Amino acid sequence: MKAIELKNVKKSFKDGDETIEALKETNFSVDKGEFVAIIGPSGSGKSTLLTIAGGLQSPSSGEIWINGRALNEKKEKARAKVRFEEIGFILQASNLVPFLTVKKQLQLVDKVNKAKENRAGLDLLKRLGLEKLVDKYPEELSGGERQRVAIVRALYNDPTIILADEPTASLDTEKAYEEVKILAKEAKEKNKATIMVTHDLRLVDYCDKVYLMEDGRLSEKVD
Amino acid sequence: MFLAINEIKQSKLRYALVIGVMFLISYLVFFLSGLAYGLAQENRMAVDKWKATDIFLSEKANDSLNMSMIDSDIASQVKAKEKAVLAQTAGIIYDANNENKKNNVSFFGINSNEFLNPNVIEGRDFKNKGEVVADISFKNQYDYKLGDKIKLATNNEVLTIVGFTDNAKFNISPVLYTSLETFQQIRYGSNSNFQPKTTYNAIVTRGKISQQPKGLQKLSISKFIDKLPGYSAQVLTFGFMIGFLVVIAAVVIGIFIYVLTMQKIAIFGVMKAQGISSRFISNSVIAQTFILAFSGVLIGLLATLGSALILPEAVPFQTNLLFFGVITLLMIVVAIVGALFSVRAIVKIDPLKAIG
Repeated sequence: MKAIELKNVKKSFKDGDETIEALKETNFSVDKGEFVAIIGPSGSGKSTLLTIAGGLQSPSSGEIWINGRALNEKKEKARAKVRFEEIGFILQASNLVPFLTVKKQLQLVDKVNKAKENRAGLDLLKRLGLEKLVDKYPEELSGGERQRVAIVRALYNDPTIILADEPTASLDTEKAYEEVKILAKEAKEKNKATIMVTHDLRLVDYCDKVYLMEDGRLSEKVD
Repeated sequence: MFLAINEIKQSKLRYALVIGVMFLISYLVFFLSGLAYGLAQENRMAVDKWKATDIFLSEKANDSLNMSMIDSDIASQVKAKEKAVLAQTAGIIYDANNENKKNNVSFFGINSNEFLNPNVIEGRDFKNKGEVVADISFKNQYDYKLGDKIKLATNNEVLTIVGFTDNAKFNISPVLYTSLETFQQIRYGSNSNFQPKTTYNAIVTRGKISQQPKGLQKLSISKFIDKLPGYSAQVLTFGFMIGFLVVIAAVVIGIFIYVLTMQKIAIFGVMKAQGISSRFISNSVIAQTFILAFSGVLIGLLATLGSALILPEAVPFQTNLLFFGVITLLMIVVAIVGALFSVRAIVKIDPLKAIG
């Protein structure tokens, strides 16, 4: 079943008199439980694709469907709601709030949600060996620990999709492998559709599919 | 509230400093308003004590009690539910035993059977010639006792303090109440051959007035107080100072919150990318402003009340809980208005930039 589907999506910017096509017409979908990677040089448009898929910006034309909900026509307020409910972000540096302890990062989600704490989310902390760090602030964690907390945070709200933008950029090779392994395992177990943008080709071993982005054109890479 | 409190907990020093600034400004505002109120009270207390509705002065007196002169036969033509005559003059007295101890005072000559006669909290009413009832500051501030003799600087008449009353200050001077007979003696001296007939400065009334003779000017008591020499100017001056301080407090905390918000743009951007609404973030900034303003103002209020306890008697400081309540509320409200600039900035943050 398709968790996210982009139909005929295009994105162009005006730069003075010129129009730059950051994303050429793209059709792209990810199923639940599928882990895909988008690789490509910087400036190729892979971040543009990710932010459009994540509802952070609107496409110039085309449609985006997330879990059966159309995203492209909605206003920012409504898109924010979809992002909060359906999408878990894992960002390059960190998606953590610096003045909240690990435990409170997750409580923040409960507060916004006006919900009780999510036991499964807390169990995940334990499984990833983070329970001793619950009262630490992000700055007191190592890079790997921070990204693991970010993974827990992204999964905590039980979203449909995980969007990871260069999640291993600040980690060494060994740590990077480990984090992607964890991400792939957890996302699969919980039946999430995961899109990871990276330029690190070694990480694609864990992915079901690999797409290549070049000059705004997306193509599936077959090895 | 969740974000607001947790952030304050993490950056204790930073927020303690903001609360510190808020405390200093509010302390200044409270203290100044206490002084302003105290000074205003020292101008009008004795008038408030009358609990009267209107006052009659002679028409040509230009609303000035000092300049007013009313003959007794005209005074008797004023008919009201309750009425009392008042003769008033400013004077300088000194301690009969110590000529260096001088005081400016205000003499109120009254009929002891009329309502201007004050409550005596220590000693007794004036009865015989030369007896006065003095404001309690004569005891608390100037160390006079019951039975002490005072001398008039103008004509060396000697008076005896037989009682004390409270809240009796007029034009920033303590009031000495005495009989109309003694008042004549104070004004003209007992040895002088010149003894004019008794005149009054004012007729004070309570309730409905049924007859008002020609040649007299009627003023409501609140108008009369406004016309006291220097009173309106003083109240206006302090009022403006306090008003501006409240506005400055709002601007200062507004700037602090704005700078703190600017520093957190990246964090707020990530939160917005994660789908946390601008409203949630803005509410937390407003809540934070409220916590900071409330704490600062509360500490300022407590410090003011504490300072009031150790102030010397001579400082005209008076606490008025209603005023302080209004100022507390006003400071908090304007601080939150100042924080609204930050809310605008939060709404404008583009989550895309946080990712890109």
